[in-house]
Amino acid sequence: MSAAAAVTVHHLVKKYGHLVAVDDVSLSIHEGEIFGIIGPNGAGKTTTVECISGLRAPDSGSISVYGLSPRNDRNKIREFVGVQLQESALPPRIKVREVVKLFASFYTNPLDPDQLLESLGIKQFSNSSFKNLSGGQKQRLSIALALVGNPRLAVLDELTTGLDPEARREIWSLIERMKDRGVTVILVTHFMDEAERLCDRLALINHGTVVALDTPEAIAARAGGSRVRFVPSQPVDEQTLRAIPGVNEIERKERYVTVTGTGDLAGSLINALAAIGVRVSDVEARTGNLEDAFIKLTKDDSLSVGKGIQT
Amino acid sequence: MTGYRPEWIGHRSRVQFAELLKVQSKLALREPLALFGGLALPAILLAVFGFIGQANPGNVGSTGLSIIDVWTPTILVLSFIFIAVSLPNTLVRDREIGWLRRVSTTPLHPSRLLAAQLVIDLILAAAAVLIVLLEAALVFGASLHVQILPFAVSLLVSIVELFALGLVLVALVPTQAVAQPVAGVVTFGLMFLSGLWVNPAQVGDPLRTIMYFSPSGAAVKAVLDSAFNGGPSYAALLTMAVYTVIFGFVAIRYFRWE
Repeated sequence: MSAAAAVTVHHLVKKYGHLVAVDDVSLSIHEGEIFGIIGPNGAGKTTTVECISGLRAPDSGSISVYGLSPRNDRNKIREFVGVQLQESALPPRIKVREVVKLFASFYTNPLDPDQLLESLGIKQFSNSSFKNLSGGQKQRLSIALALVGNPRLAVLDELTTGLDPEARREIWSLIERMKDRGVTVILVTHFMDEAERLCDRLALINHGTVVALDTPEAIAARAGGSRVRFVPSQPVDEQTLRAIPGVNEIERKERYVTVTGTGDLAGSLINALAAIGVRVSDVEARTGNLEDAFIKLTKDDSLSVGKGIQT
Repeated sequence: MTGYRPEWIGHRSRVQFAELLKVQSKLALREPLALFGGLALPAILLAVFGFIGQANPGNVGSTGLSIIDVWTPTILVLSFIFIAVSLPNTLVRDREIGWLRRVSTTPLHPSRLLAAQLVIDLILAAAAVLIVLLEAALVFGASLHVQILPFAVSLLVSIVELFALGLVLVALVPTQAVAQPVAGVVTFGLMFLSGLWVNPAQVGDPLRTIMYFSPSGAAVKAVLDSAFNGGPSYAALLTMAVYTVIFGFVAIRYFRWE
């Protein structure tokens, strides 16, 4: 374990009755990074962060948060871990500033409630009741409550679900500013653009197991790189295509040929085909992204069953 | 993480609790169900019995007491009932929406939320006692001969017992949607057993015994005896103590924060 590890999870297992929610998750989160946890619904993302936050007791495995155990040192952990829960509401008639001030009183070294509301852009709603807030305002308030204790670790579950694109972008820049202040962030999300934009590293969880743990770029590269679809001016046989550098897979549908592979695929294809007198038209090229990797890694059962790939 | 001093923790937790009480009181004022049931409704019901008493002077059965005398303790206990059954309304909701869970992620244990709610309801019950007694004595001329200590003990034990029953509802009722009808049925039963419609002095056994040994009937008996006859009924106090232990056990056993 390196000294820079903020959170380490070793062989975490959590069952609800017969349902295995988390089946042997191990990961290590560095201090000061934004660590994303992605995966399909029901993969065990929320259960994992709930165990890290001390809200649930693991059935087996161990968790260390800044050297403390979330269950045994729960009182100390709560001082410096801020949690934003998925689907957690406040009493309908509680007011924005009132509840942030109340939460501030729970902590030893809280942030200034007014400054926090200002930086979250909800200062003008200080006197509004929770029930009258819009989805975006509720979400910002929820983040305010997670941050008001001036945490070293912030656990944010489904941060931007239900927000419009503008509100999402504002919240993203807020998370980046938190990182600049040195806060370690665990972000649970099912938005790939959010994970790609914000996270330093990602754990992709499927069926309760970590199937990939790497930077977003490295995981995206697992999707198999680029995909090029084109219409050749005359039929090209498979052997010719396979001989082109970087080509992995070939699919044909009507006039279209779709090639997946790595490197500058479109360039190599066009050059190689031009050399044998074949022109290509209707070219559509796409680089592999996190979403492709996500689909590939969660659909492909040979990867998700068993221990999967861990890096 | 080191260097905590006990007195410092004490100070901080007092600051926390004061802030919590402030916010919870404001919420109670914004959702005034307990306020209405605990203060306004008893005042109105007492007035009803006051006017009935003025229209029907004389004693109730062989009690030697007038209508307003007999029903003043009943109304007192009723206000405790209304406050007690309002507990599930807020606390079950707060649990259902995840608020108690949200608080449990902070250094404040959610039991402090419960404690703050109980303190507020205790203050509410004290206000109810003051309002009902003043109204009974000054407006309708109830002939109270209160001995402070037995009377206060009877009231306090009644409050504790009925609040414990309220917490049983909080513990057992899963959702706010279920809380309202359940609280309604429980309230109705307790109101009947307290003697609101038929006074135990006017009915025969076994109903009279059932009423005297019910949670609300015993409360009324203890309060009534200490309001007029000097001493409380020890049987009634003991009955309430047993209920309190049972309710307390069930509430603690089945209480959930999530």
